[in-house]
Amino acid sequence: MSATGSSNPEYVNARVRSRRAALFAEEDYRKLVRMGTGEIARYMEETEYETEMNELGARHSGVDLIEYALNRNLAKNFEDLLDWADGELHNLIANYLRKFDAWNAKTAIRGAYSGASPDEIQTDFIRAGEFDDELLDSLANAGSIEEIVELLDGTIFEEGLEAAFEDFEDQDVLVPLENAIDKTFYEHLLDDVNTITLNPNSPKGLYVEVLQAEIDFRNVRNALRLSRTGTDLDPEEYYIEGGKLFKEGELRQLVGSFDDLVEYIRDSPYGEDLSNALADLSEAESLSAFEQALDAALLEYSDTLSHSHPISICSALSYILAKEREIENVRAIARGREVGLSVDEIETELVVI
Amino acid sequence: MADDVKPTRKNLMQIEERIELSERGHDTLEKKRDGLIMEFMDILDQAQDVREDLEEKYQQAQRAIDIARATEGDVAVRGAASALKEHPEITTQSKNIMGVVVPQIESTKVQKNLQERGYGVLGTSARIDEAADAYEELIDQIILAAEVETAMKKMLNEIETTKRRVNALEFKLLPELRENQEYIEQKLEEQEREEIFRLKKIKAKKEEEEKAEREQEREAEAEKERVSADD
Repeated sequence: MSATGSSNPEYVNARVRSRRAALFAEEDYRKLVRMGTGEIARYMEETEYETEMNELGARHSGVDLIEYALNRNLAKNFEDLLDWADGELHNLIANYLRKFDAWNAKTAIRGAYSGASPDEIQTDFIRAGEFDDELLDSLANAGSIEEIVELLDGTIFEEGLEAAFEDFEDQDVLVPLENAIDKTFYEHLLDDVNTITLNPNSPKGLYVEVLQAEIDFRNVRNALRLSRTGTDLDPEEYYIEGGKLFKEGELRQLVGSFDDLVEYIRDSPYGEDLSNALADLSEAESLSAFEQALDAALLEYSDTLSHSHPISICSALSYILAKEREIENVRAIARGREVGLSVDEIETELVVI
Repeated sequence: MADDVKPTRKNLMQIEERIELSERGHDTLEKKRDGLIMEFMDILDQAQDVREDLEEKYQQAQRAIDIARATEGDVAVRGAASALKEHPEITTQSKNIMGVVVPQIESTKVQKNLQERGYGVLGTSARIDEAADAYEELIDQIILAAEVETAMKKMLNEIETTKRRVNALEFKLLPELRENQEYIEQKLEEQEREEIFRLKKIKAKKEEEEKAEREQEREAEAEKERVSADD
């Protein structure tokens, strides 16, 4: 439908509930994790991924086929979600789905940088955001990064890319461009929402809470990564505004000491949900288990909200996160089986609620 | 071999000189071989450790990238990898271990910080960092293994060459020279004996001739005396 008119959360919720019911349950994962890659592909052909598996079967094979089918199915589902939603609800969903615009913009930039063919770039696009096919085709066919930056004029990414492109020209690395794109996405997540006058217990207030948690978790991930690697990068450059956990200027001091940073997170409102992961983090070398705990916490937040306010944006957001997680879980199982990870190892990588 | 040698004193002296030189060379080469073997054993221990570490690091890197591909997806991992065009730089120098020239490899720009890896920090995860970290460590280990294993192979070649030289001296050249020396000595002795025999023969012949002459003279004198007595 469209961004105009009034919101239609009842209709969207009804459609989302049926889609949500089609998501893989814990039992499905238990079966999948014990299958070989061929069996996984066959299993998917009997589920809602059938169309994508058949469409892509001639072009890809093995686990690549599964991964591309998952991405295409994700895009189709989110496109449907945007089609169903009207008015403000449409805008709120679209704001969140811009993460795929960010993905596609980065894919095009990386493709141009590494000299990939337009066909290879097109294959890696996930057509779930606001960018239309015409823009995506132009991005894939652009011959240079400068051309891509020009093509992104008029999108939300325009403002950040202008300054980042100058840095890119100086340093010849993609970091400034990629960071600018991701930062712009997160900082525009709360567009269309007036957080000051918002009632925190209203459905929209709770929706904002989930998005703030996502921004906070992203800031936490980045702060921990910067702190763990001990680089002299300025943490403020990677700070994303809009969250509740960190204030501007606070991050620089915290990143200097990993233990202080962990303690700060433990004392925050998220401390209770993340307490086990934080305890493991102090001992473990790896941050990945903690990142997984962040994903699980976010998924749980959104799930709780969708139950407390089903007729609101919360159910749509919860579905988006759950669908993304399903894609990640199936991909993890298929790739894990492909490279010979054990059932236990794969199961630790899954996030199921 | 011995048949080709002329049994002369000059040749004997030359052969004796060559034997002396070869024996000295043999001793030196034996010492070099033993020294090389000792150096090789040290490098072998080091190479075994490096190889074990390499295998361990390879397993870790492979596991890290498998996990990253499983959790982030192959497309995301490929994307992050293509965000960097710069390659590590390797410079080679050489050093000398007991006359064997072995390479000394130095690498730069292998271990990178987050900003140097090309991909953005905000849109990626620690799993990609861990895979990149593991592969950077693996590359460093491969470079170290290349240095140590090349040194080991060069040492091994040198040991083989030295061993062949020692064996050639010990079992081929020196026995042949000694055989020649013996042959010449025998020949010279034989020649000496022949010469003595010949001289003796000449002397005997001469003495016989002298004796015959004296006999003739005596007979002639006796004849003369008989003739004068008859007169």
